[in-house]
Amino acid sequence: MPSASDRTRGSGLTTALKIVGILALAAAVLSFPSFAANPFILSVGVVIMSYAVLATGWNFVGGFTGYMSLGHAAYSGLGGYATALLIIESGINPWLALVLGALLTAVIAVPVGIASLRVRGASFVIVSIAFVLILQLVFQSWGEFTGGSNGLRVPRPFGPDVLRPEQHERFFYLHAAVLAIALLTWWLIDRSRFGIGLKAIREDEDKAQALGIPTFNYKLVAFVVSAFFTAVGGGLYALWFGFLDPIFQFSILIGSYMVLMSLLGGIRSLFGPMLGALVVGYSVEFFKNEYGDTQFHLVATGLLLGLVVLFMPDGVLPALAALLRRFRPQESSIREVTQAELAEQRNSDPITQGAKR
Amino acid sequence: MTALHEQGAGQQESVRIGLAATGLSKAFGGVRAVHDATVAFHHGKINALIGPNGSGKTTFFNCVTGMIKPDSGTVTYYGADITGKAPHRIARAGVGRSFQLCRIFPRMTALENVLAAVRPPSKTRLLASAHHHGDVARARELLSRVGIEHLEGAEARALSYGQQKLLELAGVLMADPDTIMLDEPAGGVNPALIERIAGLVRSLNAEGKTFIVVEHNMELVMSLSDHVVVFDRGSQISEGPPSVVQNDPRVLEAYLGV
Ligand SMILES: Nc1ncnc2c1ncn2[C@@H]1O[C@H](COP(=O)(O)OP(=O)(O)OP(=O)(O)O)[C@@H](O)[C@H]1O
Ligand SMILES: [Mg+2]
Repeated sequence: MPSASDRTRGSGLTTALKIVGILALAAAVLSFPSFAANPFILSVGVVIMSYAVLATGWNFVGGFTGYMSLGHAAYSGLGGYATALLIIESGINPWLALVLGALLTAVIAVPVGIASLRVRGASFVIVSIAFVLILQLVFQSWGEFTGGSNGLRVPRPFGPDVLRPEQHERFFYLHAAVLAIALLTWWLIDRSRFGIGLKAIREDEDKAQALGIPTFNYKLVAFVVSAFFTAVGGGLYALWFGFLDPIFQFSILIGSYMVLMSLLGGIRSLFGPMLGALVVGYSVEFFKNEYGDTQFHLVATGLLLGLVVLFMPDGVLPALAALLRRFRPQESSIREVTQAELAEQRNSDPITQGAKR
Repeated sequence: MTALHEQGAGQQESVRIGLAATGLSKAFGGVRAVHDATVAFHHGKINALIGPNGSGKTTFFNCVTGMIKPDSGTVTYYGADITGKAPHRIARAGVGRSFQLCRIFPRMTALENVLAAVRPPSKTRLLASAHHHGDVARARELLSRVGIEHLEGAEARALSYGQQKLLELAGVLMADPDTIMLDEPAGGVNPALIERIAGLVRSLNAEGKTFIVVEHNMELVMSLSDHVVVFDRGSQISEGPPSVVQNDPRVLEAYLGV
């Protein structure tokens, strides 16, 4: 079959292009600190990387299963507080605290997932919001342990001899490393049997279950993995920023950012959330810098979300990919035509043709 | 008539019951969709489940496959109680099903649609590539068996309705069920495709698969099935070989709505 060999050749080329693309992306990310003109730009870079980790973490559940959690700040917040409190209360190594804090958050996510993944669609969204609001109340009022509304100072992992720009740079690379691990995990799941099961759930959960997929367990695992990576993101941010405020940590706004970034970049694609984080993170910081910390970015966020959902429901990355496909080299487009024609000819087999409705 | 009866009696001796329901009921508000249904389907046969519109066939399917919890009654599969079990457990016990309004995964390719039904040999193999060599080979084999192998790379939503029905069937087969329940396989497809689907059912049955087919196309039911169950208002009103059921006055009454 000629089309089959064409396909393999085509996919070989695509793989090579993908590898080159990923290497270029990695090089661009890793060289950013040396190009950053000043510590402020560098700190914006850290914020964007933090968003990228959170959005990629969110996408383990949002992208694979289609369950849109608006309350994922619960897990970044828990990761942050768990890391800080473990260091403060038991004096353990901050990096160990980061990992333990994320694991603890993942454990907490198990019962939350069991309770909330029973409902779908809007109900799930509401339950996710409810959970983050409960956490906000708890962390605000439990003053003696969490610092309450006064906030919590997070001990610095690097000593005072490490200067600010140096701090930013280190945290930039730490975030990049966590992001790389999250992306690798997402990619591994994406191509696996588990991943195809999760995507089947996103497409049609009842159908997936009728085919024998234990949908609830699948969703729960994805949810807990998502909570884990989101918590690592939250913990790392806490170590960098050095201060936690329950109003900000457990806000719906942070959760909405994760959703917006993922939707913008495309929840079906590996790098989608990361690209969305770049766009949203940059815009948010830009607006904050230009207009101060007003409510303006809220309006902008809302507008952006609306535009994307309306005009690019698959996200920016997939929309760009579709556009690129139109400008492919002539050779491959001819091949596409022949392949399509081939399918067409077979299609004209009256049996399946006439059934078109 | 006597000859027929004897033939019926002779058959009954060798009949083994696969899927069965006893006193099964399910109401939606005031609507008794399935009401005290007692039904037994024959192992290794092509069973048909017929009845007027709204007689509860689809609801019965949903209760049996765990998609809906019945209000009362029991469902057994080769003697084992499967009432109210989760759909994936019933599927894994060997019951596959299609849906009346053809359900596929629209944004996945035809090949992925079939691969989604793979049952990993163990939990540790869950992270193995979905495009595992053996799985892909089997999925392609099934796609070509239903006659749409040339569409493996196409998104399922791009297929015609008839092709989607064939794809759904290939997915069901991938899970390797012993009993296959089809809800109106001939609904909305042209006569040539109906023949193809009927041919598939026959050959799969010859390979040992038991079928339970809901169908309104009487010509197809009569030519295809070995055993017919007739539903009216949520319960069985007649059963037997097609030739017998066809002449049952209760069936005629139900269909003519006297
Ligand atoms: N989810 C539901 N909610 C409310 N009523 C329902 C529901 N599902 C089915 N019904 C009702 O139950 C009755 C049986 O419906 P069902 O779909 O099982 O019939 P059917 O025999 O499959 O009909 P058809 O041949 O038209 O497919 C109908 O009166 C229908 O309106
Ligand atoms: Mg029906």
